[in-house]
Amino acid sequence: MMSNFMTWIDDRFPATKVWNEHIAQYYAPKNFNFWYFFGSLAMLVLVNQILTGIWLTMNYNPSAEGAFASIEFIRRDVEWGHLLLGMHATGASAFFVVVYLHMFRGLIYGSFRKPRELVWIFGMIIFVLLMAEGFMGYLLPWGNMSYWGAQVIINLFSAVPVVGEDLAIWIRGDFIISGATLNRFFALHVVALPMALLLMVFLHIVALHKVGSNNPDGIDIKKLKDENGIPLDGIPFHPYYTVKDIVGVGVFLFIFCWIIFFNPEMGGYFLEAPNFTPADPLKTPDHIAPVWYFTPYYSILKAVPSQGLGVIAMAASLVVLFFLPWLDRSKVLSIRYKSPIFKVALTLFVISFFILGYLGMKAPNEMRTLVARICTIYYFAFFVLMPWWSQWGTTKPVPERVTH
Amino acid sequence: MNNLNNKMTMNSLFVKVAQFLLVGVSASLFAVNAFASGGGSPIPNDDMPQYSSDRLIVSMQNGMQVYMNNCMGCHALEFQRYNRSAKDLKMSEQMVIDNLMFTADKIGDPMSNNMQVEMSEKWFGTAPPDLSLIARSRSPHWLYNYLRGFYKDDTRPYGVNNSVFVDVGMPHALENMQGIQDKTEEVKGIENDIGYAHGEIATAREALKTNEGSVSSHNEAIDKAEHLIHEKESELIELSKSGDYFTLITEGRLTPQEFDSSMTDLVNFLEYVGEPIKIERKGMGIYVLMFILFFTVVAYFLKKEYWKDVH
Repeated sequence: MMSNFMTWIDDRFPATKVWNEHIAQYYAPKNFNFWYFFGSLAMLVLVNQILTGIWLTMNYNPSAEGAFASIEFIRRDVEWGHLLLGMHATGASAFFVVVYLHMFRGLIYGSFRKPRELVWIFGMIIFVLLMAEGFMGYLLPWGNMSYWGAQVIINLFSAVPVVGEDLAIWIRGDFIISGATLNRFFALHVVALPMALLLMVFLHIVALHKVGSNNPDGIDIKKLKDENGIPLDGIPFHPYYTVKDIVGVGVFLFIFCWIIFFNPEMGGYFLEAPNFTPADPLKTPDHIAPVWYFTPYYSILKAVPSQGLGVIAMAASLVVLFFLPWLDRSKVLSIRYKSPIFKVALTLFVISFFILGYLGMKAPNEMRTLVARICTIYYFAFFVLMPWWSQWGTTKPVPERVTH
Repeated sequence: MNNLNNKMTMNSLFVKVAQFLLVGVSASLFAVNAFASGGGSPIPNDDMPQYSSDRLIVSMQNGMQVYMNNCMGCHALEFQRYNRSAKDLKMSEQMVIDNLMFTADKIGDPMSNNMQVEMSEKWFGTAPPDLSLIARSRSPHWLYNYLRGFYKDDTRPYGVNNSVFVDVGMPHALENMQGIQDKTEEVKGIENDIGYAHGEIATAREALKTNEGSVSSHNEAIDKAEHLIHEKESELIELSKSGDYFTLITEGRLTPQEFDSSMTDLVNFLEYVGEPIKIERKGMGIYVLMFILFFTVVAYFLKKEYWKDVH
């Protein structure tokens, strides 16, 4: 009965073929470690954001007059509304946590190197879309930090030469942030950007499955195959990695739910106190800082003495990441076989990225600006000089088979 | 031997540089902006007593009573409903209707009032804000000290000022409970000194701008005055800690201890109103986490079973 049904379907739609190609007979290296959980977790958070988002939209009122009150209405009067809000708001931060870790995995194991350049570039597009999605979503609660945060970021565009002022007005749809801005951000946040995100995630996975997954050894497992053409070091994604990823999901959900139920504000990093007062164009919060996931780039912006150049530096700090596949010229892919120079350079990069993130939340003083400048210079030097320094030092020999 | 010595000095030099970098840089990076928002940490800066379970519910009930009798006239709780308060604070709806509702509202209505925005702006300079979320935007700690920070100040329209929220437009609404407190003579003396030091700094800065007198002596004066201000401000904090910051000049209905306890109740109520689900969500969270833990353990053994044949 069931097989008859599947034959009927398969004659008309490649259901079994797709299932096999991408899941049941997609051979992934058997040596994935901790770092390989974050791709599937990013997918989980994406689904969480879309589902909770749909239900939030049912009661959210996208107008300057009603937005703030409708959020409190959801929190207090909608059945389980507080949980929807908690999952969506914590999910936003969680999304960036897992995506940052996912990108870091790519960085340490050289997953962006040939032939995975397009996987990396599609991933970078997802990251930029995600930043836009997070930024626009942050305006929707219409709290005072939503308002002033958006004000500061949109004003950055007015630093663009010649067209800047018009560009800022075009983005806002008004001369100041207003209901018009809220409405268009709502449209982009719930329709346009999620669709673009889903499309890019689809392309990211299609590109990945064309070339196959990298692994912590940075070895191409397709070189050694058995008589059936199956990689010797490969195992089918399902059931091996589906059951493994579920364990990762469990650990992730434990932390995620601990935050939602016990610490939703996360000391003011996930939910900021000024955002519990309604947007007020006449009252500037004492200290305006973007949400934590934007602060490294915001720091780079502030580190540059001129605002116009600062905006360019901030954009460049993202653009440079797109070129990573062509910047790394090391003979080996994985950190396991790279020279100690790479390990030192990468450690310093991580430290300076964290420092930039921290400084982006703080009001500047002389010492902070100096440190931010040093870290900014290092951030760019790390990437721009990579074609040279990645060839320095001696690499270790790469084994034939993966270490498992 | 000589070589070894050289190596030693190099090492200790390295340690010194590292120490300088770590201590110096981190001190200025992580420095709390003591003078950032005009006047450093709030005075008083006392911690509110923490209650739990039944004691907390009783405290919230008392707090609601204080709120409805003293605050509700001006400050609405627009996002909170009467019956939600009744349910969460374990009171019957009839009890709330009989004792805590002074308007024609229905039990399911939001806790709003009839304050006219235009009129209130005339009376207080700014409309009294809705307080549904005040505990989340300001923090309970801030509220507890703010409510206890009113003191006599004849230069203000209502004869009182607030040491936590300087020049607040609000009169001392709880005067009948607390009475009127004034800063002690010692505090006034110290604040005079601080004001004088600020004046000296301003004079020196002005002189620096116009290039009068020697630069070094002006800078020295500024340093000295800043040092003095810093010292005097710590003295104020000490005085506030030992309870010698304010002195009661007119007694109220309650003793200071009773008043503090009432304010704890009021803040607990406002913290509840800020997020009504707060207590419940923690109870729920325990079960959620226990389930996830169980799920993860099962998933782990499932994974182990499947992976047995991967070598």
